[in-house]
Amino acid sequence: MTELIQRWQALPAHLLETPLPAIAITLLAFMLGTHVFRRLKQPSWCPPVLIASAIVAVILWGFDIDFAHYREGAAWLMLLLGPATVALGVPLFQQFHHIRALWRPVLLTLPPAAMLAATYAAGLAWALGASREVIASLAPKSVTAPIALGIIDQTGGSASVLMGGLLATGVVTTLAVSLFAPRLGVRDERVLGFVLGINGHAIGTVRAFEISPTAGAFASLGMGLTGIFTALFLPLAWALIAGQ
Amino acid sequence: MSLLRGFLLLTGFYLLGESLAFILDWPVSGGVVGMILMTLFLMLRGSVNKDLGMASQSLIAFLTMLIMPGVVGIYFLGEELAGQWLAIAGSLVAGTLLSVLTTLWLMARFMPTPQESPHD
Repeated sequence: MTELIQRWQALPAHLLETPLPAIAITLLAFMLGTHVFRRLKQPSWCPPVLIASAIVAVILWGFDIDFAHYREGAAWLMLLLGPATVALGVPLFQQFHHIRALWRPVLLTLPPAAMLAATYAAGLAWALGASREVIASLAPKSVTAPIALGIIDQTGGSASVLMGGLLATGVVTTLAVSLFAPRLGVRDERVLGFVLGINGHAIGTVRAFEISPTAGAFASLGMGLTGIFTALFLPLAWALIAGQ
Repeated sequence: MSLLRGFLLLTGFYLLGESLAFILDWPVSGGVVGMILMTLFLMLRGSVNKDLGMASQSLIAFLTMLIMPGVVGIYFLGEELAGQWLAIAGSLVAGTLLSVLTTLWLMARFMPTPQESPHD
């Protein structure tokens, strides 16, 4: 009997030798989080990923699982981010006719807008005394998460700070667009969508789809192009400015 | 099999992108290079086949779940950021307000006016 109890006590450590508990926790929390999000009538200030990750945090705390241990196991799942990033090329190709129709404003706006989004974030963080790691984590704050994670791999940022920054940026972007657009007299759905996608990545894109499908298409386009452009220029600029 | 074929193609492009970035020593992630190669490949082919469409759609649907382990880290940040919260909040809020304002202004400036006839 005592032997059975001993084995029961050793069970968590035994199971945690494989990444499968971490994967199961992630899948479960994702499904629960999506469900709760729908029940809450899909609030734009609280994306499902925030709910789902809170559920993971509660489970880890409840079962006394070390976060570092969880992250090691979940890395098996995050491995799929590589092929998933490649998969983003498919919708980008499908929306390409939008670029063709409005190529001038799109191509003229995108590079300065994407560069400024990163420069404002990094510059303000630097001026306010943030550490090098925090600046690196905040610079790609307007880039969609899978691409942004690839960027901080190059610049040496922290994934947790980046993720927090992405969430805050997405939420502030949706608020800022509804605040500033009427004051600047901007009503064109294509402009609103594009601005939401450039600055607010996936969260802004979700908001744009609520405005209209056209706004949504332009937001996906803005998100994709900002991601590519920033992924190409930011690591190079970082290497030049901050040194290796 | 269709899903697997699509997934193989995506993984293949990822490996291609990663190899290119590694050989040319680009500070860009293999996924991004793979995505650009994929877009170029599709532009050359002109259409998305069923396998690839299916695999990419299902992966994109789970993107949120794939980034989730990173998001969980927010709840375990603790003391390592002590003293930097003002910088982080300022950079995020003020930086985002500024960049939305500039982007709106830029885009509105470059948009063709609707009543103007296209003559260029």
